[in-house]
Amino acid sequence: MISHTKIWHRFLPKIGRAPTTAGMDARTLYALATVLLLVQLPHILHLPIWVSLTGAGLVVLRLLLLHEPDRKTLRFLLSPITITLLAAATAFLIRLDFGYSIGRDPSVAFLFVLVAAKFAEIRRASDATLLLCLAAFLLLTQYFYSQTILSALITIPAIVALAYALSILRDSDNPAKNTQQIKLVSKLLLHGLPLAAVLFFIFPRLPGPLWSLPEDAMAKTGLSDSMSPGSIGEISKSSEVAFRVEFDGPPPPTHQLYWRGPVLSEFDGRSWKTSKSMMETGPRHQDAKGDLHHYTVMLQPHKQRWLFALDAAISLPKSDYAKQINSGFQTSTRLLGRLMSDGQLIANKPVSQLLRYRQSSILSQTLQASRPPPLNTRSLPGKNTKTIAFAMSLRNNSTSDMEYANSVLQHFNRDVFRYTLKPQLLGDAPVDEFLFQTKEGFCEHYAAAFVVMMRAGGIPARVVTGYLGGQMNGDYMIVRQSDAHAWAEAYIDGTWRRFDPTGFVAPSRVEQGLSAALPDETTETRFARLDSNWLRQTQLKWDSMNHQWQRFVVNFDNDSQDKMWEKFGFQNPTMLQITIAVMSISLAWSLLILGRPKRTQQHLPHNEKLWRRLCRLLQGHQFARVSNESASEFLTRAAVRWPCQENRLSLLDKEFSKLRFQNINTEDTDITRRTIRQEILFLGMRITIARLKPRYQSGPTSIA
Amino acid sequence: MFSNSPIKQVIGRFRQRIFRTQPEDTLPHAVTHQRVYIVPTKRGFAFSLALLLMLIATVNYNLSLGYALCFILSGLFAATLLHTYRNLAGIRVEQIKQFDTFAGVNATFLISLSNALKEPRHGIKISTKEGSWLMTPIGSEDTTDASLTIPTQKRGLVQLGRITLQSDWPLGLWTCWSYVHAPIRSLVFPKPETDPPPIPSSTIENGGSRSTPGMEGDVSGLRQYRPGDSIGSIAWKSAAKGMGMQVRTFDSNHSPTNAILSLEKTRHSQTEKQLSRLCAWVLEAESQKGQFALHLPGDTLASNCGEIHYRSALKALALYGIDP
Repeated sequence: MISHTKIWHRFLPKIGRAPTTAGMDARTLYALATVLLLVQLPHILHLPIWVSLTGAGLVVLRLLLLHEPDRKTLRFLLSPITITLLAAATAFLIRLDFGYSIGRDPSVAFLFVLVAAKFAEIRRASDATLLLCLAAFLLLTQYFYSQTILSALITIPAIVALAYALSILRDSDNPAKNTQQIKLVSKLLLHGLPLAAVLFFIFPRLPGPLWSLPEDAMAKTGLSDSMSPGSIGEISKSSEVAFRVEFDGPPPPTHQLYWRGPVLSEFDGRSWKTSKSMMETGPRHQDAKGDLHHYTVMLQPHKQRWLFALDAAISLPKSDYAKQINSGFQTSTRLLGRLMSDGQLIANKPVSQLLRYRQSSILSQTLQASRPPPLNTRSLPGKNTKTIAFAMSLRNNSTSDMEYANSVLQHFNRDVFRYTLKPQLLGDAPVDEFLFQTKEGFCEHYAAAFVVMMRAGGIPARVVTGYLGGQMNGDYMIVRQSDAHAWAEAYIDGTWRRFDPTGFVAPSRVEQGLSAALPDETTETRFARLDSNWLRQTQLKWDSMNHQWQRFVVNFDNDSQDKMWEKFGFQNPTMLQITIAVMSISLAWSLLILGRPKRTQQHLPHNEKLWRRLCRLLQGHQFARVSNESASEFLTRAAVRWPCQENRLSLLDKEFSKLRFQNINTEDTDITRRTIRQEILFLGMRITIARLKPRYQSGPTSIA
Repeated sequence: MFSNSPIKQVIGRFRQRIFRTQPEDTLPHAVTHQRVYIVPTKRGFAFSLALLLMLIATVNYNLSLGYALCFILSGLFAATLLHTYRNLAGIRVEQIKQFDTFAGVNATFLISLSNALKEPRHGIKISTKEGSWLMTPIGSEDTTDASLTIPTQKRGLVQLGRITLQSDWPLGLWTCWSYVHAPIRSLVFPKPETDPPPIPSSTIENGGSRSTPGMEGDVSGLRQYRPGDSIGSIAWKSAAKGMGMQVRTFDSNHSPTNAILSLEKTRHSQTEKQLSRLCAWVLEAESQKGQFALHLPGDTLASNCGEIHYRSALKALALYGIDP
């Protein structure tokens, strides 16, 4: 009996009730928890720490509740109301933390917490279904952030756990052991793999996004569109890979590897910025002769728009496929970027994924100017008065622009300047302080001071940032963030001429790289650079693997697909061809897994087959054998039904009993069988004819 | 006559082909591929929807590993389809044994399924319209039995009806089923009256039809204790085993021979009650190994005794007035 005070409870949602263990048994819960933890694991790297802790904490709390179902605090914490409040609070905090809420990254963070919250209040099997679907999606979102070999490897146990959870969810009372279940689902996954591979290679890739959500620029190490004293030094501490290069021929010597990046012309007295107004130009030096190099760059996503090329670029960046079809198919190559008047390569869109492009350069110190130097390459704001005065005195002593530039470089050489990653901090007049007080700095200090001196002497000049050098690893070159560099360009005699003041202070930086110039300071990169060190060898091998991975797996796009089709002999396959290919492969795959379809009659003895053939024939004419009826009884009954076939039927009966009950030799057996086969054939024809005959003879009257 | 119209016939044949509405299957019956249906379960639909969403996200962000993940899971989904199918297809219903019963007691059917494959078949559920039963895994090249029960209310014949062999093994993403409708039916005897009057007999008048718990004669068997039975005849041994109070019965000196049982002798007016009493008498006679004749309108059994006689008597009672 329901007491009257409790009746109103029925009209309220069941709030404040912690999930009971009755709905979900321990085995299912553990399987689901395994999936969740494995799915959450790769996200810990990029999520704010408090989000990760909330997510993992909820999973652990739910498992604790399983073991202590009577703990009041746990029951309270995991009651639906608390969970709902927690989810709402998390949504609010995520908005605070990320600064916006409609976007990719906050959504991933929220999904992360949501999945854990769903697990914490799970009750029914349908909840578990939803949970697994959300978990699968969360598993996918990790690839927004990283598509390395490691992230692929970490997905494998998660997929197995997902399939395992499905199998447990189907029947948790299943007596099969966990190892058996895991074996089973692994088998299923393996069976699915061929189909997955085919789909992966054949599924058409779309070149552009369908929609885009705001992406926040993750704090990526790498060059930026501004430079202040110390910023390049900061980048150099990272040994992260900036890009990898494959040269068609032998690579140029290290001191010529000036990879041009952002060009900084705007100066505010302390820091440098790219100029806002840029103009597009076509590639120059087209017909120039010199040290020509063709190469392919695999640029790591840096979320910026500039691309890197050796000075000076003579082509526009093209998609990799251009290499294969250099002759004849030029029109089909996609241009990935433009060349600006200051020599920068600008991509069509921010590089948010691995980008592979073809590039050609002529190694050259100079860059032909397509237009007169803009005003901002002359302006000189700020308080660097001592520098300006010093520059004026040097300028007056030199007869030409070139001589002046050389005398400025000589100054860095003559005076006791120190090349270091850890210079003293500079104040409001950084160039003055650097040149006359501290006299120590990294490449950006020297480049900035040189440009200021040039501008003070009335020569247009600008800072160029990029990378200098690179490390060969097998057949490709690794360019790391630690190779980041800044140099200067001055407009002398109608061309932009490269000057690298760093080379006058620390020649080994230009010749051999950073670790040779500063062996004591580059602690982070030491492992990468030390010679004959097994760790270094391992690291290089690992990098080589990553390179192949990125080239063939991560960078698999419609160009690679075209190449693949070409290899199989299809030039631009149509949709129909692709469909037929997929269908036939799927069919072959299905048959392989199902095994050859088994004929149920294959193992029947020969005589039995013949008898069945006769039975089938008669059954087709609505004459079935009744149970407990012997063969000859059946045939006698048939003879009553078809009196005209009486002789044939009795012959069949005789022959069958001869086969069955008499011991006759093989020769006779064969003859008997042949007779039977023949007679069955005639019988079938006769009966059919007999059936059709009356219809023609008696006309419509027989139907009534 | 309308039911004979060609359209009806076509629809009927179509229904028979798809839903097996008529009991036309002969045993042993192999579940062939034409007769196996397979669709995704709710969970399968949810899973494929999630896969679709994942694919859209992947296409949008052009994630190579995302494609790989989506397609691996799709491959799993497809492989599960084949394995679910293979788990059911080719199974053989070897025989279905029926056990006759009394009205009010469940009719039992023993179904035996055989598996010709090397791999065992898991999680096969057999359903009738009355309920479903989960089978234990059928081992490789093995046969497994399951007993299905159907509640009965009335005497007569009970049809097993269409049975469904169904399974969603291994991941519960697909459900696969096949219908088998064989003409299997079991007899339902009338419900025996609980406390019937003694068998009317021409030769025995003094209640000899009730097996008397007495001390004379040989022990012939055990039956439920009834008030009034002598304490000395209670089978204490079996009572101690927890089998309830039972009394030993003895072959009475006067066996009820040549009793003629008929509807009139029951002194009831309702047919079912008459049959119910007759049934009780037949059982009574059987327990005493007595002879009797059964006279029913249209069906007469000569006086006889023995297992076959009792059975045909019960059958006659079950089918009285029913056209089989």
